[in-house]
Amino acid sequence: MVNTRENIGVNTEQLVKHTVEKIAPLWTLENFIAVNPYWGKSDNSFEEAAKYYNKLNSTQLTMPLSFYMTAIDEGVIKKVDVEKALEQSGLDKLSAREFLNIAHSNNKNKKAVQQNIQIAADCAEKVSGIDWSAVMTDCITSWASSYFDKGVANWNTVERSGSLFHSWRKDAIHDKKPKILGLKKFNSTVKSLPDDAIESIDFCLKELAPKNATLEVYLHALLSRVGGWAAYTAGLDWEANLYGGNHAQLTDFLAVLLAWELSLQNSYEDQSFEIFWEMSQVNNLEIISDFKNDESIDHRLILQNAYDLANQRELIVKLNSADSETSKPAEIRPVLQAIFCIDVRSEVYRRNLESLSPKIETMGFAGFFAFPIHFIPLGHETGRNQCPALIPSGAAVKEVIRDEKEHKKAVRFRQIRAHLFSAWKSFRHSAVACFGFVSPMGLTFLPKLFSDSFGITRPVPEPQERGLSKKNIANSTVSLKKEKHNGLDSGFSPEDQVKLAMNALRAMSLTKDFGKFVLITGHGSTSTNNPHATGYDCGACGGNTGEANAKVAAEVLNNSEVRQSLRNGGIFIPEDTVFLAAEHNTTTDEVKIFNLFDVPESLQEEYKEVTGWLESAGRNTRSERALRFAISQKKDASKIGNSVVARSRDWAQTRPEWGLAGCNTFVVAPRNRTKRIDLKGKSFLHSYNWREDNEFKVLELIMTAPMVVTNWINMQYFASTVDNKKFGSGNKTLHNVAGGIGVLEGVAGDLRSGLPLQAIHDGEKWQHLPHRLNVVIEAPVEAINEILEKHKTVRELCDNKWLFLMIMDSDGKVSKIYDRDLIWEELNEEIFAERIMI
Amino acid sequence: MKLILLLTFLPTFAFLITGMFSGYLKSKKVINLSLFSAVLSIVIALGASVYVYLNEVTTIYLFSHQELGFTFRLDALSLVFYTMIALLSFIIVRYSATYLEGDENQGRFIGRFASTIASVQLFVISGNLFILFISWVFTSLFLHRLLTFYGDRPRARTAARKKFIVGRIGDFFLLISFTFIYLQYGTGDLGIIFSEIAQSSSANMPSALQTSAVFLVLAAFFKSAQFPSHGWLVEVMETPTPVSALLHAGLLNAGPFIVMRFSLLMNHSIAASEMLLIVGGFTALFASIVFMTQPAIKTSLGYSSVAHMGFSFFICGTGAYSAAVLHIVAHSFYKGHAFLSSGSVVDIIRAKRISLPNRLTSPLRISIGIFLTLALYFAVAYLFNPDLSNNFSLLAVGLVIIMGLAQFLIPIIDSKPKKTTVLIASFLGVMVSFAFFGFEGLFDFVLNDQLPHSVILSTLQIVTISILLLIFGSAVIVQLFYPNYFVGTTSSSIGVHLRNGFYINTHFDKLIGAYKVRTE
Repeated sequence: MVNTRENIGVNTEQLVKHTVEKIAPLWTLENFIAVNPYWGKSDNSFEEAAKYYNKLNSTQLTMPLSFYMTAIDEGVIKKVDVEKALEQSGLDKLSAREFLNIAHSNNKNKKAVQQNIQIAADCAEKVSGIDWSAVMTDCITSWASSYFDKGVANWNTVERSGSLFHSWRKDAIHDKKPKILGLKKFNSTVKSLPDDAIESIDFCLKELAPKNATLEVYLHALLSRVGGWAAYTAGLDWEANLYGGNHAQLTDFLAVLLAWELSLQNSYEDQSFEIFWEMSQVNNLEIISDFKNDESIDHRLILQNAYDLANQRELIVKLNSADSETSKPAEIRPVLQAIFCIDVRSEVYRRNLESLSPKIETMGFAGFFAFPIHFIPLGHETGRNQCPALIPSGAAVKEVIRDEKEHKKAVRFRQIRAHLFSAWKSFRHSAVACFGFVSPMGLTFLPKLFSDSFGITRPVPEPQERGLSKKNIANSTVSLKKEKHNGLDSGFSPEDQVKLAMNALRAMSLTKDFGKFVLITGHGSTSTNNPHATGYDCGACGGNTGEANAKVAAEVLNNSEVRQSLRNGGIFIPEDTVFLAAEHNTTTDEVKIFNLFDVPESLQEEYKEVTGWLESAGRNTRSERALRFAISQKKDASKIGNSVVARSRDWAQTRPEWGLAGCNTFVVAPRNRTKRIDLKGKSFLHSYNWREDNEFKVLELIMTAPMVVTNWINMQYFASTVDNKKFGSGNKTLHNVAGGIGVLEGVAGDLRSGLPLQAIHDGEKWQHLPHRLNVVIEAPVEAINEILEKHKTVRELCDNKWLFLMIMDSDGKVSKIYDRDLIWEELNEEIFAERIMI
Repeated sequence: MKLILLLTFLPTFAFLITGMFSGYLKSKKVINLSLFSAVLSIVIALGASVYVYLNEVTTIYLFSHQELGFTFRLDALSLVFYTMIALLSFIIVRYSATYLEGDENQGRFIGRFASTIASVQLFVISGNLFILFISWVFTSLFLHRLLTFYGDRPRARTAARKKFIVGRIGDFFLLISFTFIYLQYGTGDLGIIFSEIAQSSSANMPSALQTSAVFLVLAAFFKSAQFPSHGWLVEVMETPTPVSALLHAGLLNAGPFIVMRFSLLMNHSIAASEMLLIVGGFTALFASIVFMTQPAIKTSLGYSSVAHMGFSFFICGTGAYSAAVLHIVAHSFYKGHAFLSSGSVVDIIRAKRISLPNRLTSPLRISIGIFLTLALYFAVAYLFNPDLSNNFSLLAVGLVIIMGLAQFLIPIIDSKPKKTTVLIASFLGVMVSFAFFGFEGLFDFVLNDQLPHSVILSTLQIVTISILLLIFGSAVIVQLFYPNYFVGTTSSSIGVHLRNGFYINTHFDKLIGAYKVRTE
């Protein structure tokens, strides 16, 4: 084969670096954090990215045309929205009616075969009629789920000591599967490659010799063939960048894929492969030079814009028509100040809680409460990071039982249980031994089948509760004492505690007017037998429940020495203020308080009142949420409660709760701006008062962290909705957990990222609608512009319309919307009102 | 014949009706009908069991021609299986009612489910060769419709196609086997056939029956995914989890069941017994090793089922039929639960970070462990059955139980355990041994009149069993002494071959063109 060797001058390392940046990370099922799967392309505008993905591998960023047409028929999208969208696309000469007619007829005629970026596997497929892309994916999945296995297999068959590429090579050299299916030179090609990933990539690229101009896109297309595993390795790199370690795993993974490509080329050397390869290069070049002019999805993009405009219009009307309170109604000291996570699920509960009494105040803040910890559960060897994925965790914190003697007993008991369990597992899962297990023990699964089926028992215990007694769980707390744990520093010094407390209170805009009880409410979920369970937990706590963070926050803020130091720093917390650590169970809407022991005798009466409020709010919230399930409204509140709890315990339940489905708004303003509005559980709420924000440091934090996180969550839901095949995880009833990392849909194929269909669709209609996030911030435009200027990635999100940024003025009205390049469009309210009338 | 006995057929009829009309009913109705049928099945199963216990083996003749037709046999064996299926179907239908909520075809799914259950019920209570054969084929055809529930999934079609090919080969073998039996005795009635066989002796077995036994075993192997026909079974997670649960806990038992049903015949054929031992034993070992290497939960459970089917055949080969029935029934509940709860594996992994003492791999500790295990087991064995030495079959099965216990106790003893841990583990070990002998004794008592007893093994069989036990034992010894070999630090080509199940399935893929691009 004659190689053009055109790409000899290309710097492979640079090329690889640019390629791997395009892949958004993916976390394991152990902490399934939401990710914007288009993260690597957010430097492109939404439209451009949509066209790019369409050509890359037919990934769609919009719904099918019929979806928008229905929205028009139902009056969701109005004529004004379509006109505005046309205007934004420079098509204002077209009337809405004309446009819709064209879109409609175009859609009907569209049957043309779409050309995507081609790789060598496609050429080999044309030669042989064998779907080599699928073979490659299956072989890689088989190896990768072993390599990354967290403990499904009892015998790990791949070498894990060397680098990823090294391990794969060792395995692939002996793998007979490709050869049996017809890939004659697979093993020999793999054998001939250098062990170093970059060298191997270099070698493969020289041999394959794709055209220079196509290189980056070609490599991206290649990675997206096995996009799930690529994203998972990107996630490992992401963590390594925060915590150290090997952060070139995706590079190694790319080397694996290129080795496949080369072996395909080598195996089909003598045949018409070369002709197809040349044709593919022409095809790829053509696509790359022309994809921006591709008009095939233009209509849908315009309609998506109209759909988002319609949503914005409703939101703005809703926010602007509410008479927001500019100041507090009465100067009474709140009995309960409850801080919740910004999560959309908190909004429903907060609204129901506030409505119970004027003595209740609620606030919104990221659910780790500015205490980024590394949490080590009782008796555990290693811990987990409980903070947003964007930042590294702080010091380690150990879980302890309050009584030292009890603590020792509990640790011992837990370790004994774990030891027995691991031996029991080897009894159950070893070769031959498993026969000795089933004969005597198999019948015991009959009663278990029934008790699990009726929700009396759980198939396996809650991970947090495994091996602990009820009493232990009730008395567990966190230890802030400075000590060593497995070579890791744990605990905080008094100075650190003060610093953390100061930071947290300032960030929450909570520096005065403390109530009697300040409830720090983390959140978590309960579902049974659900591989994606952690996806319902708190993303700000790294895909865990917020329990530990809330406990740490309360422990620090209740410390009298800390309070003394805070006083010197200008924050005066009254002596009778008690911080309570709590957890909001988002599935059952129960709020559980952990540190009862911190409530003094003198406050017992008020405390009773507080728990009473929490119960009532829970009941009302459950009734409200039940509407979204098919739980009949005729039932009384307690029946609804029972059925919600039953759902959370049902091992067959694929929809324990709706999670963040529906999320489309993020309001950054004092709560009184939104207090009187029913935001229907679709809005993230961050309490923020710019008047108290020195140099807009807090605003900067909000726009660079929570705003990005809410974009990630919103885009995860968006992507899973518009193209579940590519960036969703498909049908939950087919899920097959691979390596404890992620799921396969069925027996093989790629690791699936994103959300299952059941999490966004109830069988009849979408529970999440594909809206891009609307961010409404109450702050001066100059301050926002300054932050946008400073942070490139944040600005890209706004400029490229991955979210819509709006400003609320000092009257609480949404007055400006961000266009791009720091230019804002005034929203003239009267015009707006007129538009709606039409 | 008492009319009341016709009630036995009622649940099956209810399931069939549900299946037939599921296309015309709302899914809620189909679910309720199926649940009703399942509850009815449980009630009837209990009623019939009491009846048979008080009376005797009963055959119900609905109508038959030349002793072929619709006749049903109620005896201990058929009722054990019938009850098991009734219980499982209740749980699995209940599960599906929630699990597939919102799927537009849920009603159709449950309907297909109901038909499949009906066919399995018919199968286990069949009273003659004709209905036995028909229901055997129908279980497979109904299953096919469940496997292709998501018919637009190429992998679902591939797996169903593999199953279809293997299934038809099995049907063919069974047909040959039954033809020989029918020609020999001139009757299709199982009761008559069994009593005829019981009266004959191994020595004067006609060659037609010898042939029949061999083909019966072959049919069972193909039905229950024995090496090398197992490929389809490890691929059928292309359809919702409840189907896997029903298949692995119910339908797959058809192979061992038919061997148990004709255990009297097996008992007379050395060739058949040898096949059961060798193919069953090999599959058990092969698949249980491959099972360990599978990193995807459902796939690993698939290999585990192949292994347990193999082990059941192996026990049948040793002649310890009641132990074989115990194993099959125990496996059904175990595997049904394992599939339905397969999503919980993430919870197990999340709880795994508790610090554990390391394995020491000290030969002394392992030897003490082996000694302790043996002592513990034989102490319990002696309590139950003082002359175990006379019962070679049970002794052989018992040895495998010991091997299992060793894998439980030794990892603890060999790792600086706390005293309490050893005490609890030993106690659990005693309980496991009690459970084995207790349940085995119970099954032996219940199935007494349906299975051969005082099995006299030929020298060849004893030698075969001993060799297989030796191989089983070595596999366990390797696992005990080299635990580190299994944690991904040692690399060798054997790992990749094992993970791929020695490519048996890949060859099958190639044969049927599983990866061929379809031009539509």
